Amino acid sequence: MSLTTQSTPPPDLNSAEKRRRRLLLMVLAGLSALLLFVLFLFARYLNQPEPLPELLPVPVEVNYPPHYLLSIYDVDGPIGVAVSPEGDRIYVTEMRGERLIKIFDKEGVFLDSFSPPRTTQGERSPVYIATDSRGRVYVTDRLQHAIFVYDRDGNYLDTILSPTLTLSEYVAKHTKTAPTPGSFSYDIFEEEVDCKDAEGGDLTLPRPDYALWAPLGIRFDSHDRMLLTDVTEDAHSVRVVPSDVVMSPDWLDFDLSAMQFGASGQGDGQFLFPNSAVDDAQGRVIVTDGNNGRLSVWDDQGAFLFHFGSGSGDGALSLPRGEAIDGRDRLHVVDAVGQNIKVYDFSGPEPAFLFAFGSMGVRDAQFNYPNDIALDDSGRLYVTDRENNRIQVWSY
Amino acid sequence: MKKLLLVSLLVLAMMLFVGGVASANGGPHGDYTATTDACAGCHRAHTASSDNLLMADSTYDLCVSCHGGSATGANTNVDDGVFVSGRGGDEGTSTADGAALLGGGFVNYGGAAVSSTHDPTGVDNMAWGAGNERGVLAAISENLDCASCHDPHGSPNYRIIKEEINGVSVSVAQSDEGASKNYGVVSWSAQQSNVCGACHNPYQHATADTTTGTFTHAVDVTYGGSTTFTDGNGDTVSVDLASGYIVCQTCHFPHGTSASMTGYAAGAGPAGDSALLRKDNRGVCQACHQK
Ligand code: HEC
Ligand code: HEC
Ligand code: HEC
Ligand code: HEC
Ligand code: HEC
Ligand code: HEC
Repeated sequence: MSLTTQSTPPPDLNSAEKRRRRLLLMVLAGLSALLLFVLFLFARYLNQPEPLPELLPVPVEVNYPPHYLLSIYDVDGPIGVAVSPEGDRIYVTEMRGERLIKIFDKEGVFLDSFSPPRTTQGERSPVYIATDSRGRVYVTDRLQHAIFVYDRDGNYLDTILSPTLTLSEYVAKHTKTAPTPGSFSYDIFEEEVDCKDAEGGDLTLPRPDYALWAPLGIRFDSHDRMLLTDVTEDAHSVRVVPSDVVMSPDWLDFDLSAMQFGASGQGDGQFLFPNSAVDDAQGRVIVTDGNNGRLSVWDDQGAFLFHFGSGSGDGALSLPRGEAIDGRDRLHVVDAVGQNIKVYDFSGPEPAFLFAFGSMGVRDAQFNYPNDIALDDSGRLYVTDRENNRIQVWSY
Repeated sequence: MKKLLLVSLLVLAMMLFVGGVASANGGPHGDYTATTDACAGCHRAHTASSDNLLMADSTYDLCVSCHGGSATGANTNVDDGVFVSGRGGDEGTSTADGAALLGGGFVNYGGAAVSSTHDPTGVDNMAWGAGNERGVLAAISENLDCASCHDPHGSPNYRIIKEEINGVSVSVAQSDEGASKNYGVVSWSAQQSNVCGACHNPYQHATADTTTGTFTHAVDVTYGGSTTFTDGNGDTVSVDLASGYIVCQTCHFPHGTSASMTGYAAGAGPAGDSALLRKDNRGVCQACHQK
């Protein structure tokens, strides 16, 4: 019975109805596909943070942050760093251990070390370091209150004892002849100068009479001018020394007091522990005003222009220390407490923050109280990473 | 969550600080005003990676960024125990350049390497006498570092000594040094021993005490005799009193010493080293007991 009912063929659909149904099915399928596609587009749209930008002309110079290359170890509390003019040598000063100045090649191979003559570890404190276009190496020393000058291999040449006195000048005044480098030295704790008299015999002179100062940050610009910060108590200032003084054949009539500006304090045109000074293409002098947590900008005549980089937000500085400016007027500032390097564009009238790189830590590309930075011509950056006991090398 | 709490704490503290801080202690410590942004020199509110939103995993690393051998942010170089101002000539009443710091040094003192220090690197939490028995090491409430004794935000105490150390409230009168401080001339008050007593309690006795089986020298007592002794070589050895009182710092440095110990003095005492003593061997004793 049921068999017969089951075997009853379905009501015969005519072919037109069949086609209509198939079409409907197809339209339905098409519509759902479309819906899916729209949903997909919508999802994609939602996933996109911003609407697609209009195509811009590709900028000539793009500002990418640099990338980490390698680290140079074998340094104890590195504090200052400089590169030779050829870019083939890196000079580093140490805050701890033996407090030496160490020379490395570009790949980080240790070459040599040196220190001020007649000093023990507890009598010297090399801090900032710079090279002039002749390759001479200048090191400020906080305990010795002086700038020591060496040749590119670290052989001692002379000492800038005060803004108006070099050790060679003092010796020459007594011996009436220009002394040869290496033939004289000064022990500021024993208060005596050892040198050679005109006949080449040993001679001991009393301590030279000069007012103490406190040279700290040192840099040379592309015109061989020396930019120096001075943290003599209650008289924090910046000095710009013309190249003819620095480059004169001898330093027997030395005087770097030509241009000096600034005072101690927190106001406009004042500093608290300025750590370094550089100049930009417009001739402005930019000073890292350490304990005031800002950059201080001055014109080429030594007149105060403005402060920059204090406060909070992107690009705000905590404890700015060493700085270096590249050929495109990008200023690199080491923020010791911010634990990174902040980069600003100084090519226009108003400086602008570009980017920062690095964060606190002990791994590659992380910093633990960085203090100073040096750039070479090939886009390499050298940063003293003090508490990680290494120099980090980065590259653009 | 903990971080968030600290951020709000920091903001709150900032408001409180701006409202007015009790004391001005120089440098970035205390004397905060609405216009200065002095907190950032040590704290970054949003990018900090360690406790207390400090940009440091070690307080010592932070402090020596300014007070270290390079003295890139302060004149008091506590590593070498020397004041480096660069200022020659007329010093007036404040510290002369090159003056030895009263706290001693953590790396060198008087140009020589130290022979004992309070280790400020935060690795040590055992202090002599903390468990109330002299000559025995016992735990204190935190690891020792610069902020165990100093409050980096300023305090009404002399040399921004904390108002509470190791859970003990510490009062050390602020001696008025005027506008310019003198880090080379003793300016402690008679209460200075309270600093040390907070961690080394049983050493702070006004009578020669033998209660725990060992003998201790009387402190916080007045002394009117001579404090200078001329030794066989004609060198004078002297110690300082605080307003006439013998305090711990009459004999000890709080930071570290380069004093050398030879002969009997070399191994005497449980610490087995120069025990932060100001003078070679037992020079500190001879200064008063001229023998
Ligand atoms: C000289 C460096 C320094 C400066 C400047 C500084 N701090 Fe601190 N701060 C510290 C250190 C170090 C600690 C950790 C203290 C400890 O380990 O006990 C700390 C801890 C703190 C804490 C955590 C609670 C505590 O006291 O332990 C707060 C909140 C704080 N600081 C707020 C501030 C504010 C607000 C300012 C600015 C008005 C400021 N700090 C400026 C160094 C500094
Ligand atoms: C055990 C406690 C203690 C510790 C730890 C300590 N200090 Fe001190 N500090 C003192 C005392 C006490 C003085 C006062 C010295 C005096 O005037 O005789 C002082 C003085 C100072 C001074 C003023 C200069 C001087 O030496 O007189 C500075 C700066 C200073 N301390 C910084 C630091 C720093 C930075 C650290 C960590 C590296 C540190 N202190 C660790 C107790 C301590
Ligand atoms: C940004 C730089 C900076 C940092 C970081 C810093 N200090 Fe100072 N500190 C100073 C300056 C500047 C002074 C003023 C005296 C001087 O020039 O040395 C000072 C003074 C002091 C004094 C003497 C206060 C007085 O009453 O005379 C003590 C103690 C001290 N600091 C402890 C510390 C401790 C502890 C730390 C770490 C928590 C620290 N400092 C971190 C810059 C700094
Ligand atoms: C009269 C000089 C003098 C005074 C004051 C003094 N000490 Fe000492 N202290 C010494 C000598 C010396 C040592 C070396 C070890 C010894 O002889 O017991 C020493 C050792 C120590 C030690 C190392 C552990 C030990 O038992 O040897 C501690 C801790 C100590 N003193 C804390 C203090 C404290 C805290 C004060 C103040 C309450 C103080 N001292 C006052 C002379 C003194
Ligand atoms: C915050 C706690 C604390 C305070 C405050 C403190 N100490 Fe200490 N002290 C220690 C610790 C921890 C040690 C052992 C570890 C070390 O040497 O760092 C120690 C060790 C010592 C030693 C033995 C050092 C050695 O030779 O190994 C002496 C001496 C001493 N303290 C004296 C003092 C004096 C004097 C003061 C006051 C100016 C003082 N302490 C304040 C914690 C403290
Ligand atoms: C600042 C001066 C001064 C210095 C430094 C000093 N003393 Fe004394 N000494 C005193 C005075 C004051 C007394 C008497 C204390 C009293 O009132 O009980 C005394 C008492 C003593 C006594 C007798 C204890 C008693 O009361 O019976 C001895 C032993 C002694 N000192 C040993 C030393 C030794 C060891 C040192 C070196 C670690 C030393 N003194 C450093 C001033 C000093």
